[in-house]
Amino acid sequence: MAQSNPPFMSGVPELLLLRLLDQSEMYGYELVRSIRAATGEAISLGEGVIYPVLHALERNGSLKSRRKAVGGRTRVYYSLTGNGRKRLEKLQTDWRRIQGGISNALETPSHA
Amino acid sequence: MPSFDLSELQNDLLRSGVAPRHVRRTVMELTDHYEDLVERALARGAETDEAHERACDDLGDLRDVATAIRAQPELRSWAARFPYIALIVYPLTCLALLPAVPVIVGAAHAGYLARWVLCIFLSGLVTAAMILFLQLSIALS
Repeated sequence: MAQSNPPFMSGVPELLLLRLLDQSEMYGYELVRSIRAATGEAISLGEGVIYPVLHALERNGSLKSRRKAVGGRTRVYYSLTGNGRKRLEKLQTDWRRIQGGISNALETPSHA
Repeated sequence: MPSFDLSELQNDLLRSGVAPRHVRRTVMELTDHYEDLVERALARGAETDEAHERACDDLGDLRDVATAIRAQPELRSWAARFPYIALIVYPLTCLALLPAVPVIVGAAHAGYLARWVLCIFLSGLVTAAMILFLQLSIALS
């Protein structure tokens, strides 16, 4: 059965894509493989949904792309822009804050 | 073999007002991704049918892709974002370009046009020579 993307994943692909593209230029398939490797296969999403996210990030100036012919195919390589780095810093800060809050909530004994 | 057909996604996106260039690019990238997935599955020892099936599964539900694209207004075409302005601008642009159509068509078929002009010129020349000959014959007789 084809993989779907649960609603709680909202915002996560964007953060991961920016983080990975901060390290090096990559194309779609390569990015998905890197997400799997970087998250230890913990995040598994329908791979096709990364393209709308990439296009939106490019449109808002966080990414830039270039076409490159590789082995008879034309691939679109994405890389981070200055705006993208700022966006990544903001998302990382937000994520750490949320992560800290959730960890606190999980560690606090629940009251009946 | 499971079919991998993006025409439904393509038509759906175009009907939803997504800019054609985004649709073309999405289709190109998804096709490339699919081919990579098939190659990977084959390299891992899968049979052809199984490799295609696995690639379809990994790529995910294309309806999710369509929903994600439709949810982004910045990926929509200019005409879909401003339909009322497009209703005015498109007919006016067509009207303004109408006089230029013969020039554009002529430029696109310059070879044929040049031969046609040459033929008309030569036939005019032959007709003029015949009339001159008749005139001279009448005058000298």
